Amino acid sequence: MTVETGAPLVEMRNINVAFGGVHAVQDVTIDLRAGEIVGLVGGNGAGKSTLMRVLSGAHPADSGKTLIDGKAVNIANPRDAKHYNIETIYQTLALADNIDAPGNLFLGREKTTRLGSLDDSKMEAETRKVMGRLNPNFTNFKMPVKSLSGGQRQAVAIARAVHFNARIMIMDEPTAALGPAETAQVRNLVRQLKEEGIGIFLISHDIHDVFDLSDRISVMYHGKIVDTIEKASVTPDDVLGMIILGLKPDEVTETDKAAIELRG
Amino acid sequence: MSIKRLTAFTLSAVFVAAACSSGGSSSAPSAAASSASGADCTVGMSWNNFQQPRWAAHDKPNMQKTVEDAGGTFIDADANLSNEQQLTDVDTLISKGADVLILLAQDTQAILPAVQKAKDAGIPVVAYDRLIEDSSVLYVSFDNVAVGRAEAEAILAKVPTGNYVLIKGDPGDPNASTFLPKGWDDAGLAAKVASGDIVLLNGPDGTFTDAWATEKAQSNMEAIIDKAVADGTTIDAILAENDSTALGVVGALTAKSYGYPPLSGQDGDPANLTNVAQGKQYVDVWKNANELGKAAGAAALALCGGADMASLALPAGLIDAAVAPDVLTVTDFVTPGNNTMNSFILKPTPLTAENLQLAVDGNQISKEDLCKGVDPASAPAACQ
Amino acid sequence: MTNVADAAPGQAGAPKRTSVRGLLAATEIDLRLFGMLVALGAILLTFNILSGGKFFQPTNMITLAVQASGIAIISTGMVLVIVSRNIDLSVGSLVGVIAMTYALVMTDWMPNVLGIAPDFPFRWVIALGFGVLLGAMIGALQGFIIAYVGVPSFIVTLGGLLSIRGVVWYQSNGAAVVGLDPNFQLIGGGAQGSLGGTITWLLALVGCVAIIWLIINGRRQRRRFDFPVRPMWAEVLIGGVGCLAVLGVAAFANAALWPEGLANRIAFEQGWGPTPEGGWNIPTGIPLPIVLLLGVTLVMTWMATRRRFGRYVFAYGGNPDAAELAGINTRWTILKTYVVMGILCALAAAIAAARLNGATLDIGVSYELYVIAAAVVGGTSFAGGIGSIPGAVLGAFVMQSLAYGLSFMGVNSPGQNVVAGIVLIVAVGFDTFNRRRGS
Repeated sequence: MTVETGAPLVEMRNINVAFGGVHAVQDVTIDLRAGEIVGLVGGNGAGKSTLMRVLSGAHPADSGKTLIDGKAVNIANPRDAKHYNIETIYQTLALADNIDAPGNLFLGREKTTRLGSLDDSKMEAETRKVMGRLNPNFTNFKMPVKSLSGGQRQAVAIARAVHFNARIMIMDEPTAALGPAETAQVRNLVRQLKEEGIGIFLISHDIHDVFDLSDRISVMYHGKIVDTIEKASVTPDDVLGMIILGLKPDEVTETDKAAIELRG
Repeated sequence: MSIKRLTAFTLSAVFVAAACSSGGSSSAPSAAASSASGADCTVGMSWNNFQQPRWAAHDKPNMQKTVEDAGGTFIDADANLSNEQQLTDVDTLISKGADVLILLAQDTQAILPAVQKAKDAGIPVVAYDRLIEDSSVLYVSFDNVAVGRAEAEAILAKVPTGNYVLIKGDPGDPNASTFLPKGWDDAGLAAKVASGDIVLLNGPDGTFTDAWATEKAQSNMEAIIDKAVADGTTIDAILAENDSTALGVVGALTAKSYGYPPLSGQDGDPANLTNVAQGKQYVDVWKNANELGKAAGAAALALCGGADMASLALPAGLIDAAVAPDVLTVTDFVTPGNNTMNSFILKPTPLTAENLQLAVDGNQISKEDLCKGVDPASAPAACQ
Repeated sequence: MTNVADAAPGQAGAPKRTSVRGLLAATEIDLRLFGMLVALGAILLTFNILSGGKFFQPTNMITLAVQASGIAIISTGMVLVIVSRNIDLSVGSLVGVIAMTYALVMTDWMPNVLGIAPDFPFRWVIALGFGVLLGAMIGALQGFIIAYVGVPSFIVTLGGLLSIRGVVWYQSNGAAVVGLDPNFQLIGGGAQGSLGGTITWLLALVGCVAIIWLIINGRRQRRRFDFPVRPMWAEVLIGGVGCLAVLGVAAFANAALWPEGLANRIAFEQGWGPTPEGGWNIPTGIPLPIVLLLGVTLVMTWMATRRRFGRYVFAYGGNPDAAELAGINTRWTILKTYVVMGILCALAAAIAAARLNGATLDIGVSYELYVIAAAVVGGTSFAGGIGSIPGAVLGAFVMQSLAYGLSFMGVNSPGQNVVAGIVLIVAVGFDTFNRRRGS
């Protein structure tokens, strides 16, 4: 694991997001270093996806600052995010079902011919290369992605994120739709990306995935950050306590623990 | 003689005198009588949809002038195609002091509550152009059967035997399905078809045109022309019920370079009159709305003065002789709903190339518009 | 069947049987479009049999095609609108107001306001320019309200349908305006508004060459990346059938002749000399409205399949969220679909006004229904994301072939409407059934 000195790759300071009467993200400060994986965990409605949507440009923050390499940036829409080499794998995959894999991979960033028309052949060729590395059994390049299996669709979404020289990646539940073999593949890929110096925010419900892959873990509870800790210094139970109760390990009482066990 | 009849007779005489005089020297008692009765009279007019160009251009000015020339007051309201609005309009006119109401009903049934209101207030009602099913109402209009008869008479005279095409209007409109075809048959169409003198190319019922739409008439006619050409038959004459369908027929004939067999229409629309001048349409049956306005105005004034509806008479000379009914007193009109109504039914004016001047004189179209694109060599009289 | 060696295993839908299925799969023909062509053929054949062979004549088919052209042109744009999960109910009124504008521009503004002489040969160009500009502006306005203000397209275009039709009345006080311009009239077709024999053959040759070039180029593109190509026999078959079809249509159109009366009249005016033995027999060729439709279909199909605009329309229709997250300017894309509609309506209005040599209050009434029906019969789905522009054009022809055929056979409009409604339900129902079965 490379330890970076100097400014973090990404820093989000005092982020607030509210909509529909709900204060989804409350004064959240979080950062990410290059070559680091930060696991972002929390219960449903904790605000993890919303926070990441701010970084990916899908939803602007009401207040707060985002810094990349120590410099303040304004990410107003997904285009801006991609400009800063931020790539996202959304929980819903954000694929257009009626379009084929190459079309989805290059959506919004199509390769064009000299006349400005779509260069479908070139895009298909590059897609074949990328998918070949990720999923060698994938052959369905001409059919709309609707006809693909869950795992294959995930592969397309991952390929899309991986292909465009990302420095920062957001992965929202990347293994949710996958079987064990594919999950292992994704885990390997994540480690590989980390080796290449890419910083990754990993949102996952799977505590084991989080503990397996993350360097640090940020826990959110009802829109606030409970704590950001080094993985090595906590146990999964501690983290569960933070997720469910919103309390740091040293704040949790015996009664609380009992309540969790009863509920569990 | 009852007082009522005496009054009616006097008033009629007065109107005759007023009409005959050249606008100045009438005997003092008559003038006094006329201005006195006119001045007391407020005529209320309820339009169903003043948006149509005809009302503003023809009916209203003549109606208004007739009333105001006799010293009366003319007030009106527009219902904008809404039945509810028309009921409100009638209320408004009554409260503004209308002594007699002229109603252009948006719907012949929906208007009845308004008619009842007027009856209750003792206000006589004239049904204008559109029928109101109520025997206490005076019906002033053109006879659509007569229009059909005029259409067919002109064409049959020009083409007594041969292949005919029948183009009708909207299948849901009784004018299209019943009244106009009855007029055609009255003119002799049915007899000639039965005897084989006339062959109907597009079926015994002809072809209907949804919403009387010109575009649809054009498409239908194109198919009919194609069929005729495929069958090797010539189209010798076309009976179209009105001008909007006739315009579509001309479009089809032009598109197919078929030439222009004699074609009928009604309404005297300027575009069609131009076609008549150019020889693309043969006859256009025009309902002179100017005269209709005058007739309603005169009838309203007479009713104002308390005249008995059954013994009303149009002043002689007020209405153009060609348009006026054969008898100037009210006649009975039996409605489809089997009501017998007092009525003044005016006669339509068939316009052909020969008498187009009447349309120019009646302000239906300007000479310039009429003669646009007319070849000077074959120009009709009105364009020379 | 030989396939290039690196055809990947499990390539979708290529059963190597010598059957119709196999044939279609190898040639990669769109099954749906093919089915619609078959249906159209069946309809025409049926009417031909019912009429004792009188129906399927060149002149009649040309009438049918010209009658379908306006609706077909607009339907190419409606595909994009429906694909992007919107609707446009205002097309009929838009056609009406633009047709009336053409009439007023040519009969009133040009002579009286702009001072352009009636014999200026390019009056039709100026008028057309007015119309296209007006259509684009109204389209942009509706598109803006839908895409940027966020009012649902059903409401906006319904409002457009009502208010714009009202404006038509004010333009001419409800009267019909006729007598436009002899050159403009040609846009409506007819014997003189057609390409004539020679140019029709030329166009067919160009078409044939284009088809062959497309096949060669497509094959070359695939080879460039070592993609599987169609078997050679399939390429030859498609090229051959395509060329034959194009040449066949040209021959059919050239079999339609000028009415002798017209030929004699023009001969007299132009001094061609005496009528030859057996008549002039001048071929009409393909009418101008169809040439216009052809051009529009090619441009729209190209835009939809080969340009980013089309890709974005389909992506938005498939998953609006995905399109947004991909950084696509979806609002601008939607607005553009409505501008395209406005322009297409202007073209259809030109055909309608030219055919009538004038404009009436009711031009374009109910167009929106026929256009939507054509798009839907042609395979466009209201769920969004799925549609075909050639399909919509075919759909328009299928619907018009029924209307014209029934007219030809003497069936009145109530009967025509009943049939049209049933066909619409059957066609879409069949398509939905097929999709369910396939997925």
